Amino acid sequence: MTGTSGFSRRTLLGATLASPVVLRHALGDEPIKIGMPCALTGPGGEVGEQMRRGAEFWIKFVNAKGGLLGRPIKLYAQDTGGDPATAVRKAQDVVERDGCRLLFGMTLSSEALAVVPKLAEWNAIFMSSDNGDGRLTGESFVPNFFRANTSGPMGTRAVALYLRQADFKNFYAIGMDYAWGRNSIGVFKDEVKKSGKNFIADVYSPIGTKDFSTYITKIRQSGADACYIVMQGDDNNAFLSQARQYRLGDKVQLLTEIVDLNSIHAVGDAAIGLIGGSRYTFTFPGEANAQFVAAWKKEYGNVPDVFEGEQWQACQVLQAGIEKAGGIDADKLRPALETVEIDSIKGRVTMRACDHQGVQKGFMVKVVQKEGFKEPIPDLIATFPADQVTPACRQMTYDS
Amino acid sequence: MRFLIAVAALLALLPFGLPPYAMTLLTEALILGLFAMSLDLMVGYARLISFGHAAAYGFGAYASGNFLLHTSMPLPCAVLLAGLLGGLVAIGVGWVCTQATGVSFSMLTLAYAQLLYAVAFKWTPVTGASDGLAGIPRNPGPFGVTWWSTKAGFYYLTLACLLGTFVFCRELVRSPFGAVLRGIRENEAKTIALGYNTRRYKIAIVAISFGFAGLAGALYAPFAGFANTELLFWLLSGQVLIMVIVGGAGTLIGPVLGAVFFLYMQQQLSSYTDSWALFFGVIFVLFVLFMPEGIWGLILSRFGKKAA
Repeated sequence: MTGTSGFSRRTLLGATLASPVVLRHALGDEPIKIGMPCALTGPGGEVGEQMRRGAEFWIKFVNAKGGLLGRPIKLYAQDTGGDPATAVRKAQDVVERDGCRLLFGMTLSSEALAVVPKLAEWNAIFMSSDNGDGRLTGESFVPNFFRANTSGPMGTRAVALYLRQADFKNFYAIGMDYAWGRNSIGVFKDEVKKSGKNFIADVYSPIGTKDFSTYITKIRQSGADACYIVMQGDDNNAFLSQARQYRLGDKVQLLTEIVDLNSIHAVGDAAIGLIGGSRYTFTFPGEANAQFVAAWKKEYGNVPDVFEGEQWQACQVLQAGIEKAGGIDADKLRPALETVEIDSIKGRVTMRACDHQGVQKGFMVKVVQKEGFKEPIPDLIATFPADQVTPACRQMTYDS
Repeated sequence: MRFLIAVAALLALLPFGLPPYAMTLLTEALILGLFAMSLDLMVGYARLISFGHAAAYGFGAYASGNFLLHTSMPLPCAVLLAGLLGGLVAIGVGWVCTQATGVSFSMLTLAYAQLLYAVAFKWTPVTGASDGLAGIPRNPGPFGVTWWSTKAGFYYLTLACLLGTFVFCRELVRSPFGAVLRGIRENEAKTIALGYNTRRYKIAIVAISFGFAGLAGALYAPFAGFANTELLFWLLSGQVLIMVIVGGAGTLIGPVLGAVFFLYMQQQLSSYTDSWALFFGVIFVLFVLFMPEGIWGLILSRFGKKAA
């Protein structure tokens, strides 16, 4: 509100009040406000930026077509720095101050876990596009939370299913020391034991760790032939580039829950050979994805990364729900979202009423150098059907 | 006294006219005000500069958070008990820290706070480590009493704690006990020469001060519904010290105003820039240079009275 105009505030106010209702409607209905507190700075900042870009891209796309239900969409993005306490405060700000009743963002699972108990009081719906922790659709489930993305347990399950056909016998795991890291590695441990293989040990690095040399030495000396990594953002980049310096990959196959372009870009050729789950990659097959990638390239000049694609999918799910409900009122939108089924850039996504998890396929990729690309890219090596990767309702582990 | 009743009445009427967002901010301001007031007891009256006051705040928050999450203790009981517990633990802390004086005392309080911070990061079952404690409820009392679980109700509970603390602290600093504290502030050697065991007084004021800081933290946990290690971090210890100085140390009311001012500026500045702390730093420097008696000192001088 710092811009200056030729009108004084009073004349502007007078004009607005005097103008007929019809005219005001013609100028645009009450916007649909979406609050987005996410980590735009700090170790998760890159992930948060991707989420915001994904949301902005969708909003631009929808608004250019006349809005959603004829109403323009407005985004209220806020930086949380990846701190759960700040996430609660910023979410409170966008809800109470800015009047948002829809939420995106909450980059870290710990932020989401802190915010979800407040959703009922705020009468707000939160559509997650990246939160991994299985508890959000398990013991910490609240009715106003929806998860359109692949969860941590789901990503881990895809890796585990792939490993059942592989030769690795002894596993080590390293994760970021917070909700997602511990949750995913817990699931991985369970899967390894079920497949009759040996789980050596797990280790957790504090968020924002820069020097991984002691961790890497531990992994090297453990006798593991494969190491499962649950990391994102700056921590992930630091770990992968240091793993390369220590030639960890010569001895141990590196497996990761999420292969993303950002870390490939950061570590370069060191990423070649990395195997992992993928929540989204621009190389996924299908017409819907090809169109999305083309539109994205036109807008930003590069291909979309994991969380940009996941955010787009979350937006599609929310949009389908709002169109079905005919509004954003939580009591109407909730039941509408519970029956949403869309064909997304990853294929079919079905929102499940019992725990609000988006049921979707699981993907495995391998980082390879391909002709026509400057950098190595994630190449699809296996796809698992949705019923194999999605856990039972409100569960985080798998029976078979 | 008349002034106090007028202010209390005004604060009590505010929930009827304010939108929810303003209520949230005001409640947080009062909690921070209570926190700052507790520090003022040490800084303003005994010249004991604590750089680890967040330790008491975070301790109170974790204590009440655990009571509320794991027992069915009614909210006010959990809050009061957490404050009391904070005060009891602080007797030991005070005993250790008052071995030193001046800067060494400040460093010891800082060390204690950082120790607690490190413990909180590892003690997952109690503190939730870096994820914190989420979903802290506002437990109902017996016979279905739940008035404190609403926005306005929680505000009144906070207001009652703040006013109660203010009255207690005001009587305390006016009592002979308070006179000894001021003696310590002005000339500790002389106070000792007069036959006072100043160390005992210092331990007592540290315990009382930390206890009220614990009470503030204990209110914060159910207010935000969340507690994590940020509440124990030295940054908060620094911020509360700024609130005391900007508001006016040694006045009890001043630090509350300092807290309100701090929160307001934080809200305003952070909506324009991410580096709001930089601008607040400039404001702080201006206060120290040109208004050493703080906001409350300014108000008193405007009305022709001398700051206490």
